[in-house]
Amino acid sequence: MSIAAVEVAERAGFRLRRSGNDHLLIAAAIALPCLALLIFFVFPLAMMLWRSLVADDGTIGFANYLALARTPGILKATLNSLTLGLATTAVCLSLGFVLAYTMTRTRVPGARIVSAVLALPMLAPSLVLGLGLIFLLGRNGLISGMLGKRIDIYGFPGLLIADVLYALPQAVLILKAALAHADARYYDAAEVMGAGRWRQFVDVTLPNVKFGLLSAGFVVFTVTITDFGNAAVIGGDYAVLATEIYNQVTGQMKFGIGAVVGLLLLAPTGIAVYIERVAAQRQFGGGAEGAVPPQLSFVPARDIPLSIVTGLATLSVLAVIGVVIYASFMRLWPYRLTFTLKHYDITLSGGYAPLWTSLLVSLFAAGLGTCLLFALVYGIRRLPSWPAKIVYLVAVMPVGVPGLVLGLSYIFAFNIAGSPLSVLYGSTLLLALCNFYHYHTQGFLTMVTGMRAVPPALEEAATCLGSGAAQVLANVIIPAMSPTLVSVFFFLFMRSMVTLSAVIFLVTPSLGIAAVSVMRLDEAGFVSQAAAFSTCIMAVVCTAALVMQLALKRLARGGRR
Amino acid sequence: MTLELDRLHKTFDDFTALDRISLKVEGSEFVCLLGPSGCGKTTLLRIIAGLLTQDSGRLLLDGQDLSAVPARERGFGIVFQSYSLFPNMTVAENIGYGMRIRKVERGKIAARVAELLELIKLPHLADRLPYQLSGGQQQRVALARAVAVDPRLILLDEPLSALDAKVRADLRVEIRELQRRLGIPTIMVTHDQEEAMMLSDRIVCMNAGRIEQVGAPQELYLKPATKFVADFMGSSNLLPTDWVRDAMPALLASRPQGADADFLACLRPEHVRLQPLASGEARVVDVTFLGNISRTRVAWKGRELMVQTAPVDGVTPGAAVAVSADAAGCGWVRA
Repeated sequence: MSIAAVEVAERAGFRLRRSGNDHLLIAAAIALPCLALLIFFVFPLAMMLWRSLVADDGTIGFANYLALARTPGILKATLNSLTLGLATTAVCLSLGFVLAYTMTRTRVPGARIVSAVLALPMLAPSLVLGLGLIFLLGRNGLISGMLGKRIDIYGFPGLLIADVLYALPQAVLILKAALAHADARYYDAAEVMGAGRWRQFVDVTLPNVKFGLLSAGFVVFTVTITDFGNAAVIGGDYAVLATEIYNQVTGQMKFGIGAVVGLLLLAPTGIAVYIERVAAQRQFGGGAEGAVPPQLSFVPARDIPLSIVTGLATLSVLAVIGVVIYASFMRLWPYRLTFTLKHYDITLSGGYAPLWTSLLVSLFAAGLGTCLLFALVYGIRRLPSWPAKIVYLVAVMPVGVPGLVLGLSYIFAFNIAGSPLSVLYGSTLLLALCNFYHYHTQGFLTMVTGMRAVPPALEEAATCLGSGAAQVLANVIIPAMSPTLVSVFFFLFMRSMVTLSAVIFLVTPSLGIAAVSVMRLDEAGFVSQAAAFSTCIMAVVCTAALVMQLALKRLARGGRR
Repeated sequence: MTLELDRLHKTFDDFTALDRISLKVEGSEFVCLLGPSGCGKTTLLRIIAGLLTQDSGRLLLDGQDLSAVPARERGFGIVFQSYSLFPNMTVAENIGYGMRIRKVERGKIAARVAELLELIKLPHLADRLPYQLSGGQQQRVALARAVAVDPRLILLDEPLSALDAKVRADLRVEIRELQRRLGIPTIMVTHDQEEAMMLSDRIVCMNAGRIEQVGAPQELYLKPATKFVADFMGSSNLLPTDWVRDAMPALLASRPQGADADFLACLRPEHVRLQPLASGEARVVDVTFLGNISRTRVAWKGRELMVQTAPVDGVTPGAAVAVSADAAGCGWVRA
């Protein structure tokens, strides 16, 4: 039938204009995003690898690697980072597991509130948590004051708490997804065979979330050792790799050593990504189709302790973020708690200009990013299988590159005198691209999932009716994908507003961004102003989140009609 | 062993899943709970297993009330429709799981597992993981796992439904042999009447939360008690009394007392005979040739009859035929 239709159309001469334009469109859809991926992701990393091998005197070899080992402080910072990373991972995994388990496997009420509160740290720059901790437990902290004694929060303890609170939501998300895969039939089988609750937990629950735990562990570890904001705000004398590498590169111009550290930081995420891929293949080999969700019951001996831990963790997150907002309106923390807006009159480091820059950068990153990702996903389907596989592989690689490393690699790629690409250095466009490629993988995978939802039959029907590629795009694909496009746009926008570690290497005195401003204000001792500035960032991001929800709801309603 | 269900009742919100079910399972019999989906058979099995609790009624095992005994202490073996082998354990670990929980010593577990693997004819697959097995192999392992701990009762929840026809037929035979050999009483849930007839000593035919009839397969097939059973167990001609009185008066002999509207004659297609006869009053509507047998639809005295015979020459659409019935094969069911 469809062949007949095409033949009729051809005989009538309908196909005449088609193929030339279509090929151009498809070629552009593939070439542009791939080229951008090469220039702004592959090239910088390659440059970093190259620079790690070029010594200061121009010889090629492993001199930088040796120099790194001899650099004073680096060894200490590495050890500190590892200790901190491991401690944070341990705490985050146990706490995250308790929270995820409580939300998915028990009937403890309030799962939605917990989810909402846990989303907060992801809507703010990481250092807001450090800032909040200082307001609570610092020298002039609320709790310190109440207890009447000085708590030394700066250094390891503060960094640990801040990093745990920052990474916890991400761990909970991964673990919730892993725990949601439960199949009641395994539990029924174990139950009838005589396994008690604990046995069932050990023999059925844990093995099923093994990969979730592993992948959450690596994510937390990586986020912790590459986080810049908290280390700068609450790290005190506790030197860690992220701050040390920043000092080496921007302070002492030791690019070679910076490149080496950047490469080393690729290892843990590399392993994490690999494990996730293996897990995806292994875990559901047994055929999870038709899984029956388990019946949830209330078991006091289990659920009461779980809800207490969950409640406390949720309250801590809420308190630490809430206190930042609260303190931003208080005249003199913590001595004169009267309402004022004076901290919002920010004069230092360019006032609100960095906020507008961030907004601009984020809009760029989101707009450009959404277009490039859409084109890539649209184009990749029309590639033959093996080139498509390669493009896919490169497109999912950025998730394995921590922001800190990506930002660092941009210096090697774009801060070269005489290179035509160096015109980008110091521009908002480069900041936007850096943010986009930092979160490229997540956006890409969302886009791929969205593209799968486009009904192929509809596309073929439109083609048989004589639509060219452009019409199919406008009439079939884009309407079906609009919720995905909205989600990806806002995802990129929100991440771009709060991220710090990727762009810290790219800001210049004349080009500041919001998260950096918070850090500078805090460094300068204007803690309340830092809080005010953070509140503004959170307000922008929360507004974006709300707009996204509204837009998605609208689209869903439109789709049903 | 005697399992006694005494007026078991179960509702889900407004839906009555089980309506005062009473049943006794004794000795080492193989009992099938047969019925269409939604008839309550799986609910009943889950209550027996202890995975669900009844709203009212009692469940007695050798006189002991099981209501307060959790599933894990009942000592039953269960096999589900889709395999539910633990995906992270090997075949041997799956089979030995129940024994490990009962803290049987290692050597004994290994010996028992080896013996069972031999029994299900998969000794070479001991170290495989479930996803590396075919559906039929997985179900055999699940069966071995269920019998490993010498259960007092085996429960099978549509164990063959997810398999394709050939594997299903093979495994059906194996289940029956295994059950006979072990002599463990077994209750199986199925919606497949052929499967139920092949495997069961007794069939419990269920509909809408109630038991329609309990009996040996032959009994249910030849003497269905209700219209539902007659319909569900194979095909049948259900004939009203006044029609029978007119067309086949010989069948009235076995008719119970009662008003005309109370009973229908249930005449299986294979109990109707056809004879090509020029003066015959019946007309052939169509013939479906199935090799060794033919199914013929015949119009006679305002009704259509389904007839199953060996292929008969001269029975072609439109042909005139004489129809007669085998009175011994006729049962009467409540309308």
